[in-house]
Amino acid sequence: MRGRIGFALYNLLVWCLVVAVAFPLLWMIGTALKPNDETFAIPPTLIPAHPTLAQFHRLLTDTPFLTYFTNSVLVAAGTTILVIVIAVAGAYGLVRFRFPGRSLIAHMVLFTYMLPAVVLLLPLYLIISAIGLANSLFGLVIAYTTFALPFALWLLRSFIAGIPLALEQAAMVDGAGRLRAFVDVVLPQAVPGIISTAMFSFILSWNEYLYALVFINVDERKTLPPGVLTMLNQNQNVEWALLMAASVLMSVPVLLCFVFLQKHLTRGFGASSVKG
Amino acid sequence: MLSPQRRDQLTGLALLAPTVLLFAGLIFYPMAQSLFLSLHKVSTLTQRTQYVGLANFQALFADPAFLTTFFNTIVWTVGAVLLQLVLGVAGALVLNGRLVGRSLARGLLLFPYLLPTAVAVLVWRWLFNDLYGLINHVLMSVGLIAAPIAWLSQSPNAMITVILVGSWKFFPFVIIAVLARLQSIPESLYEAAQVDGASRWAQFWDITLPQLASVLSVVILLRGIWDFKEFDLIYLMTGGGPGISTQTLPILVYREAFQLLNFGRGAAVAVTMFGFMLLFFAVHIWATRHHETEGR
Repeated sequence: MRGRIGFALYNLLVWCLVVAVAFPLLWMIGTALKPNDETFAIPPTLIPAHPTLAQFHRLLTDTPFLTYFTNSVLVAAGTTILVIVIAVAGAYGLVRFRFPGRSLIAHMVLFTYMLPAVVLLLPLYLIISAIGLANSLFGLVIAYTTFALPFALWLLRSFIAGIPLALEQAAMVDGAGRLRAFVDVVLPQAVPGIISTAMFSFILSWNEYLYALVFINVDERKTLPPGVLTMLNQNQNVEWALLMAASVLMSVPVLLCFVFLQKHLTRGFGASSVKG
Repeated sequence: MLSPQRRDQLTGLALLAPTVLLFAGLIFYPMAQSLFLSLHKVSTLTQRTQYVGLANFQALFADPAFLTTFFNTIVWTVGAVLLQLVLGVAGALVLNGRLVGRSLARGLLLFPYLLPTAVAVLVWRWLFNDLYGLINHVLMSVGLIAAPIAWLSQSPNAMITVILVGSWKFFPFVIIAVLARLQSIPESLYEAAQVDGASRWAQFWDITLPQLASVLSVVILLRGIWDFKEFDLIYLMTGGGPGISTQTLPILVYREAFQLLNFGRGAAVAVTMFGFMLLFFAVHIWATRHHETEGR
């Protein structure tokens, strides 16, 4: 009996703390659903008295939000596709072939994954301006490759290393060449790994702020993070409900990926490089 | 005719070629250029460069503002990493035990890590708002404070607030790394301790923590590196202010290069950061090696 009450109390306590951690997210959703006059009501309420989608409507019709959103989708999808194509080939090369300098390349990948963006920021800006890609979404895709490629390589390497070598060897004994075996045997096996790597790369690019801030100076090419932050700094009276609605819409793609990615979080957070 | 072995090797190189080319062009060449710029004076108008040796670095290290920035970076990094460790280990222990609705709790605790930093910042700035923020309102209505606190526009407050928000955003990494390790601690260790009558607390200190030591050392390194280079969260929370009281090295790079258009000096800060990264990375490699040989 005492054990059961103890367990119930423990659960109650833990759940209070979990809700406290998740509270900012609930507060974001609550505020996004409020009409303007309720935002600053005292005492503040978590659940709106008159829930409305008016903020979302205004966001999509009166602000450049939809333009930012489209730009973000284009940049994140473009980066993901480019990076995945290159990284699948590269990761397979790293895992299955022996040649001098192989472990050096592997270390380089990990190293560049940890490299601060600001170290590359200035030279990349000069390069991208020099080839006439300043203020273009493609310029941003190129910049994002610098962090998304090392990340994708590192992740795919661990997925491909988990595919049994025997399958490929069997195919090659049956007369398939190396590339045939790669396409017919390895790729289908690697699909789950490729999808989760793609999702993580998408999230990384979707969330990026610094390069987007520096490389894009025209409003119609801005991506979401700098775009929405401009909306914050533009007005004397900040419209928090509108900004929370923007935050909710910005989080939706990430949330969808997150739900699919539950199984691979240890790898995707980069925690698989933590050996225990 | 090439031997099959040789052909196989060439296939491997061909598969790696695009990766190597992109790394060379987009990472190593810019890195070299950063180094080059840090040793030069760059004219803003013509972008003509003039070699000045270590003058950029000398000017930097003699500047009290740089020392403050460096000190801020250390305070932020150490503060955020420590808080993440405490929160992350606690979260992992809770999620490793029996809990009603555990997978929902796991999702709620881990999600902030993937949330766009811009969103995290917007929500927290709304919560910490001086006049209408929920946090000031709650603290005032329970009588803890008499007047609203300026969480982000006053000096020690801003750094504390940024550390709190940063820890909230990044502690899920610690949870996920520690959780994976917790699941591999043999149950028999705890059973033996229970037979000996050890308390829960004693079990944590004598069994769990020593078993986690190796993971935690790598977590500290990785989170240390990542927090050290964090730009978005701090810049968006405070812009480095008030004054330069929350300005960290990445923000200084951005300011020097893109607000003051002082490319040489911006590059010098970036290269200094890069030096520290090399140091961190060397420790990381040394630690993992050390660990592998010691482990088994």
